[in-house]
Amino acid sequence: MEQDETEALKAELRKHGILTTTFEELYNWGRKNSVWPLTFGLACCAIEMIATTMARYDLARFGAEVFRASPRQADLIIVSGTVTKKMAPQVVRLYNQMPEPKYVIAMGACAISGGPFRDGYNVLKGIDRYIPVDVHIPGCPPRPEALIDAFMTLQKKISEQQLTGEGRPRHLYAELPSEFKVPDYGEHGLEPTENAEVWNPLKVIQG
Amino acid sequence: MTAQTISAEQVKAAIEAAVPGCRVEILQNGSPSAQHSLVLDHKHATEIARFLRDDVELRLDYCSNVTGVDWLDTEVSEKVKTKKLVDGVETEVEEVKKTTVPGRLEAVYHLFSMEKKHGPVIVLLRTGNRTDDVRVPSLTPVWRSAEFQEREVFDLYGIVFEGHPDLRRILMWDEFADHPMRKDYVPPADDDEPLHAATGERER
Amino acid sequence: MNPNVFLMMLAANPWPSIVALLAGALAFGIAPLALAKLWAVKFSPAKPGIDKNAIYECGLESRGDAWIQFKASYYLYAIIFLIFDVEAVFLLPFAVAFTGLPVGACVAMLVFLLLLLEGLVWACQKGVLTWS
Repeated sequence: MEQDETEALKAELRKHGILTTTFEELYNWGRKNSVWPLTFGLACCAIEMIATTMARYDLARFGAEVFRASPRQADLIIVSGTVTKKMAPQVVRLYNQMPEPKYVIAMGACAISGGPFRDGYNVLKGIDRYIPVDVHIPGCPPRPEALIDAFMTLQKKISEQQLTGEGRPRHLYAELPSEFKVPDYGEHGLEPTENAEVWNPLKVIQG
Repeated sequence: MTAQTISAEQVKAAIEAAVPGCRVEILQNGSPSAQHSLVLDHKHATEIARFLRDDVELRLDYCSNVTGVDWLDTEVSEKVKTKKLVDGVETEVEEVKKTTVPGRLEAVYHLFSMEKKHGPVIVLLRTGNRTDDVRVPSLTPVWRSAEFQEREVFDLYGIVFEGHPDLRRILMWDEFADHPMRKDYVPPADDDEPLHAATGERER
Repeated sequence: MNPNVFLMMLAANPWPSIVALLAGALAFGIAPLALAKLWAVKFSPAKPGIDKNAIYECGLESRGDAWIQFKASYYLYAIIFLIFDVEAVFLLPFAVAFTGLPVGACVAMLVFLLLLLEGLVWACQKGVLTWS
């Protein structure tokens, strides 16, 4: 109720040429328009990702043209392609090395679930087993428009994040971790097979 | 210029003439391609390979492909007619006799000649069984291009190539214990199918 | 204050203005850092970790030490490059003014060039330029 009144007042002031904002809005507006992705491609989806950054689709319009070659300077990791089990620890380690706040886009069927290679002996069945994914993009591979859509979804998500209060995002809580367990190479597969803190598996409800 | 085919019989004859005491067997390929392969014995394999590469007529200087094949233990049942006394009368009875043919692993090499523009000649090495007798001689000393592919066969099928300069796993990590391209390989249950809401357990 | 009086005061004693400028310059640098620190304390806590503080090696675990010794011959190579780099700086004005130069200046420049060339030949004979 109070929120609506504030919004109405803001809109009214706007009509008279007075722009009002909150600290939180200003902060999120700055963040969402300067998301720097990590230079990181895994398979064919990476080609679409590269196309997205080029002149025709021009991801620079959204403030994300600066692909950083080091996780130290990146805000976003686009997991673009099949994650093999051999590669998974590296992906998790790169995610861990990014500074907070950090976001993950799982691009394409493989990054989401293993995709067409799901039954392969060396294919991870979705990167969301080990790191928290913010936006999933289905497709094989997704078109650049789909990546832009996912990017805009992420921007919307960022602009809605609170700076204070109970609902604030994970990175603003001092006690919550910013690193997740890097899986080890085991004798038959990765150990552990998933990170229970992160993964929310599908459940079958027997009727 | 298209590659000319060269018959397995010709190659076999050439090998037998050049390498005394060797055992070469032709494995017929019944498919329309009719690419018959030559099964080499372990003892003379390297020598034969070197002959195939260096012989003026054959000059198989290019090993384009090495791959593995896994043959499981198979049960062969044949009908055998035996004479038996049934109720005091000698009658002919048909019995089904089952024999188990032990499985084996095979390493297959596809050879071409760049110089003579012919090929492929298919060479095959067999292991004794699938478990403990899995050693075959490496042909990497003869064809350098076989190095990584033999490593791959070692990684995925578990064939041990004796005389290979650097036999390590190439696709899977070093700690991995299984050979995933074998027919009896079962991926670990991690690989999860959905959890049951009631039991919290995996289906498999 | 009359601006003229202010200027006269400055001329008599410049130190206060220098101090003021220095303070401004320092504030310009320190203020963002302080704000960032304040931001971290108030909202966004720092979260160092084992992986995060580790050496970056494209996601792999780093092995061995990054501090390795370079061969001394590399420095010789670099110095020779530097000498000829500087030579190019001298050559440009020489080339621009070439048509208007007297014979003496041309000879002097040629001597300079030959001296450096001789040095290069000497270094080459010493085997500095061969990379093994």
